[in-house]
Amino acid sequence: MAIVSLRNSASSLLLFSRRLFSPELKAQCLYHIKVVDHYENPRNVGTLDKNSKNVGTGLVGAPACGDVMKLQIEVDDHGMIVDAKFKTFGCGSAIASSSLATEWVKGKSVEEALKIRNTDIAKELCLPPVKLHCSMLAEDAIKAALSDYRIKQQDKKEKRVQATG
Amino acid sequence: MLSYNSLRIVCPFRALLHPNWLMTNRQTVNKTVTCSAHCVSNNFPKKDTWQRQNNLKPTGNERKLQYSTYAASSPRNYCTGQFKLNCWNCKQPLDQTPAFFCMTCKAVQPPEEDTSLFNIMDCDYKFSLDTHKLQKRYLHLQRSLHPDNFSQKSVEEQEYSESYSALVNKAYHTLLKPLSRGLYMLELKGMVIEEGTDSGADPEFLMELMEINEALDEVKTPEEANKIGQHTKELALVSSSLSGKQAVLTEEIDAALLKGELQSAKALLAQMKYFANIEEKVKEKLSEFM
Repeated sequence: MAIVSLRNSASSLLLFSRRLFSPELKAQCLYHIKVVDHYENPRNVGTLDKNSKNVGTGLVGAPACGDVMKLQIEVDDHGMIVDAKFKTFGCGSAIASSSLATEWVKGKSVEEALKIRNTDIAKELCLPPVKLHCSMLAEDAIKAALSDYRIKQQDKKEKRVQATG
Repeated sequence: MLSYNSLRIVCPFRALLHPNWLMTNRQTVNKTVTCSAHCVSNNFPKKDTWQRQNNLKPTGNERKLQYSTYAASSPRNYCTGQFKLNCWNCKQPLDQTPAFFCMTCKAVQPPEEDTSLFNIMDCDYKFSLDTHKLQKRYLHLQRSLHPDNFSQKSVEEQEYSESYSALVNKAYHTLLKPLSRGLYMLELKGMVIEEGTDSGADPEFLMELMEINEALDEVKTPEEANKIGQHTKELALVSSSLSGKQAVLTEEIDAALLKGELQSAKALLAQMKYFANIEEKVKEKLSEFM
């Protein structure tokens, strides 16, 4: 037990001294500059009309950290995403991930947006391993929004069929 | 040298031999009974529980089983069939579990590995904890264990008091708040809330969370002093509705854990986590007004 506590205190002392004497390591302990940029200048914060047939809404939550994320997409008649808005309540990495996600889906087709992976988001924002789940949340939010849009479109088609039939 | 495989074989065999013991073990976990002497846990029974089973008459076979399971669980103790720990200083057996001080030489002991935080704080293993008792116990323990009391003692004692004191701190803070307490109880049963999206989450619940968060966001720090009162009231409303929800959740989690419904307890604790985050934000906003 003494050895373990000694090792712990020794390693924590080393960590402390590393932080004091190595400025480049100190930077790694903070949020990456890209994440800070998205946090301070978030793009596409807002809401779209969720009752509109062209809007897909994805609402996801991460129970481990208690983050909540809403991502909405507006799709035109050609299947292209023309607008996207998000609202995220959580850590800086989650906000940055969803902000980046809305930037990326704009101008893509529904099929292309499905291909966005959390690893791409994490790489772009240089997310540390402990924050990788934030990028997963953003990917799930995109998929949830696309799925909601698809369901709405199917409902629309069915109603049209019923009306004519 | 016994491998983990033999440990696994021993476990079910032991279950056949002592079904009554295992039954009581499971029952006492779910009952709200003070169990200081019977040291119950849901993990593999520790060394101390074996010495408490006075009602079991040790037969030759049983001794062998006991020995093999004990040795496999803590390979560093290659002692000949002893299940009690001894004081590092005077080598006398430690009678208490958890043992903070040796009864004979009064030396402070190192914390035992894998002792449940409930055992350390001498609290019943249940979700509806008596926080007053917990606090009293915490102060009582720290009065004797705090490293400041050991500044003139040997290096070993200083180190042991440091680690024990830190562990008592951790135990107190984990058991004090319902959320961390519930999560710890799940952890003891081998269950953790995974990171990542909760695919089974209720969309209406998430919508409600969004609305609360958005309402909270609207409350900006007012520039006029007379608006502070109004905004504080709005925050107080949010805060009280949160407390109401958390109280309901606490009862539901208690019921679920008592029944052993771990999955529903896990889902409820996840909900509690969301509300705890909102509560933090309310506190931050309130402190901005100060």
